[in-house]
Amino acid sequence: MNTSTINYARVPRMLAVAAAVTLAVTSCATAPQSPNGSAEVRNKLNALQSNSSLANHVPVELREAEAAVLIAEAPVGQDVALGQHRVYMADQLVEIATANAATGYAEGQREVLAQKRDNARLDARTREADKARRESAMAKSATEDARAAAATNATEAAEKEKELLRQIDVLQAEATDRGLVLTLGDVLFATGRSDLKSGRNNTLDKLIVFLNEYPDRSVTIEGHTDDVGSLEMNQTLSQHRANNVKSYLTQHGIQSARLAATGMGETVPIADNLSASGRQQNRRVEVIIQKSPAVPTASTN
Amino acid sequence: MFATNRPRRLLAVAACAATMLLIGACASAPPSPTAALTEAKSAIQAAERDDASHFAAAELDKARQKLILANKAVVAEDMILAERFAQEATVTANLAAAKTAATKAVAINEEMGRGTEALLEEMQRVGDQQ
Repeated sequence: MNTSTINYARVPRMLAVAAAVTLAVTSCATAPQSPNGSAEVRNKLNALQSNSSLANHVPVELREAEAAVLIAEAPVGQDVALGQHRVYMADQLVEIATANAATGYAEGQREVLAQKRDNARLDARTREADKARRESAMAKSATEDARAAAATNATEAAEKEKELLRQIDVLQAEATDRGLVLTLGDVLFATGRSDLKSGRNNTLDKLIVFLNEYPDRSVTIEGHTDDVGSLEMNQTLSQHRANNVKSYLTQHGIQSARLAATGMGETVPIADNLSASGRQQNRRVEVIIQKSPAVPTASTN
Repeated sequence: MFATNRPRRLLAVAACAATMLLIGACASAPPSPTAALTEAKSAIQAAERDDASHFAAAELDKARQKLILANKAVVAEDMILAERFAQEATVTANLAAAKTAATKAVAINEEMGRGTEALLEEMQRVGDQQ
């Protein structure tokens, strides 16, 4: 009988021997019995074999364990120690198969885990990139908005300034410390008369356009004369001329509250009264457009 | 006395020799299972190298005990028992290594899973903020 220990490296051959022994024992003994514990090992092996997700990882280990279990199941008669040894060996081989199956399963899962992790990383990076792009786009658009707004403001301010200057130019007004001074020559008035020549007055129409454009500006209208005639008469005449200009403006929709009319008489000449041309220059109405605090006028000198 | 006993002594010696022969024929004492013992020792060393004392301490200890028993059996000249213990020591040391490998593999997976979880959580938070 095979009473010596088993060389597990040659399990298949041993298996054949064991089978032969089993046969022999079966034929001789009336009640052949497997050693104690072999049934438990068989159950353990069956459990592992029936779990395909584990069993697939360890075909070799399972074959070896199967062979060892078969040997362990072979009746050994009175040699209890041999039976125990075989059961122990089979049990350990089943355990090894189980452990290796767990390792194989874990390694198999690793691919899935790595894929998941890579996906998560990719997502995270994509998100970060998107976020960065979004933020930079936002920052860029904010900057652009600010720049555009600033540009618009600057442009608007510049435009306004330019427009005002253009208007002033159109009016042929002069920037002075008192404001814009628009001088209406005496050609508007007949000599010694205060009423404006009939028809539309081009210069005053331009002033109306300007005043409509800049509704926050008020106007002082000053009448002036030459030194011909008495002071009193010239004072009255200048006042009337100023009043007439004012009424022309109010007739064309400018609120009278914005308009002040003053007669200055012959007291503020701008030229000498010795020559005809000097006197002509002195006969005038000056329209002084007050400075607006909101929109600065052209620099004064 | 000796003279008279000589034939009997011869007989006794002959019987003894016959017994020895008989024993020799039936169960010649096998040599020390050197190969099995060496295998057990190297299996235990391999498991130790894998840090089995940390991951499968019980199995490694059992394997060591089995090797000690095997060596004791050699001293007791029970070579059959010695070989069996040596084989048991080897298989248990292999089991210790296998369990160590499995534990490590599972730990790696858990670590990977945790890393991914953390990443997903992080993204969830970032997503919530947006």
